[in-house]
Amino acid sequence: MKLILLIIGTLAAILFSLFFGAANLSVGQTLQALMGHGREIDVTIIRELRLPRALLGAVIGAGLGASGAALQGYTRNPLAAPGILGFTSCAALGAVIALYFGFSQAVPFAALLGTVLGALLILQIAGPRKGASTLILAGVGVGALATALTGLIMNFAPNPWALSEIVYWLMGSLKNAELGGFLICAPLTALGILLLLFVGPDLRTLSLGEETATSLGVSLSKVRTLLIAGTALCVGSGVAIAGAIGFIGLFVPHVIRLIFGPDPMKLIPLSALGGAGFLVLADIITRTLTGPGTQLYLGILTSLIGVPFFLYLAVRETQT
Amino acid sequence: MISFQSLTAGYGTKHILQSLDANAKPGELIALIGPNGSGKSTLLKTLCGIITPSSGRITLNDKNFKDLSLKMRARNTAYLAQSREALPSMSVEEVVRLGRAPYRGSLGKISPEGEAAISSALSRTQSDSFKTRRFDSLSGGEQARVLLARALTVEAPVLLADEPIAALDPFYQLSMMKILKAEAASGKTVITALHDLLLAAQFADRIWIMHDGKIIADGTPKEALNAENMKTVFGIKLPKGGFRPLELAP
Repeated sequence: MKLILLIIGTLAAILFSLFFGAANLSVGQTLQALMGHGREIDVTIIRELRLPRALLGAVIGAGLGASGAALQGYTRNPLAAPGILGFTSCAALGAVIALYFGFSQAVPFAALLGTVLGALLILQIAGPRKGASTLILAGVGVGALATALTGLIMNFAPNPWALSEIVYWLMGSLKNAELGGFLICAPLTALGILLLLFVGPDLRTLSLGEETATSLGVSLSKVRTLLIAGTALCVGSGVAIAGAIGFIGLFVPHVIRLIFGPDPMKLIPLSALGGAGFLVLADIITRTLTGPGTQLYLGILTSLIGVPFFLYLAVRETQT
Repeated sequence: MISFQSLTAGYGTKHILQSLDANAKPGELIALIGPNGSGKSTLLKTLCGIITPSSGRITLNDKNFKDLSLKMRARNTAYLAQSREALPSMSVEEVVRLGRAPYRGSLGKISPEGEAAISSALSRTQSDSFKTRRFDSLSGGEQARVLLARALTVEAPVLLADEPIAALDPFYQLSMMKILKAEAASGKTVITALHDLLLAAQFADRIWIMHDGKIIADGTPKEALNAENMKTVFGIKLPKGGFRPLELAP
């Protein structure tokens, strides 16, 4: 029942988001345009702007939600999330390097490359010690380095336009969403989520502790490699298209856990669904709150919701 | 039958186990005793594949342990860890079901034999009456029995238990030992690390005494628990009249 509500809610959010945008279209016009009828301009707006934007938001949110759930299950730490493990920063660094040199077109590939290189570096530093805690430390370290390098590049930005492009990009947004972006992002994220689903049963066994899980035939190095690869695909492809969108990977699995219980195997697909719905809703809010002037960036909004929640968790964690 | 020859293992370059040789037969309950840091846990972890030996060989029913896949090792050696980790809101039954992990297909379905193993393990450890309760709501003694049930669910011919009765009251200590004894009597090899010499003397068919990474005595409780070993290994005197058994009240 709860599952059906979650699925309906997510689908409804995607449909609902088609009604919001700069052009003032009625419900009837929107639905007609979605089916390919009505004025040509309306069809273009719905099918080439709003629909890709909604779908892209759903895909990116799904990837962030699933990777957050998997990382929290693996580290058995409620504060783990793709952002905290450095993946987002590495993707952002790649993208910022591309923007610095003026290659706006290459941003998606640079972000993906940044994530992959960051993930390899994290694995290398964590080394043969297979524990989850070394992975967190390596992730935090590499993430901090990527953030520092991003700052350095902004420091030496060639001109104010390049700098403002970087700054806006770092805020994260779906405003430039188009079908092409969706076609890059969706298969990569789907592959990433698939890899994460594949480690689900092992994550469940890992709740008995790393040693007991090993004695039950779980290969810790296989779990870690699949987890890093899956997360890198989800986060890298998302950041590549929409910039840095923070805290969804932390926030969504917690809400899902409160509703559906703590089984890490179920949390991965459910958090993917929840993340998709949440990101699309957040994107609707940014569009409705945006007046005619500067628009509100999605990454800012998700962080504004996510950070207080993060602090609440951190405080509760230290009190128990 | 599990045996090992010239087994050397440890953490990184530090060798804790120094060239050990011994064997354990089906139906035997072996108590592994020795001071803290003597290598009991390291030996148990090496025998189930958590620690890879740096040299020497482990043989499991004439097969070299090294040649077995992770899954096959897991099906042959069940390991009961000292720590009591489990997801906070997992139910007892969910914890026990995790013992079927070595048999699971990619979809995580449990076979009918698996279901039978789960309910049998729950009843052998007298845990079925609280199987729907949350694991973290149980007493320490009940938790210990549930984790033992989890290890029994593997249905491995060899059970390795690391201090399964540590921090339990005398009632639960005795009842846990009786369960382990019954498992050995059913044809399993049970090797358990113990600190309680009294219970070791009472229940073990054989005792391995570990000291500084070596097995310095391997024999019946009478042979192993002699005055000389008590003095050199533990720095204690053998009690007058030896170790006497404990019994549950009628």
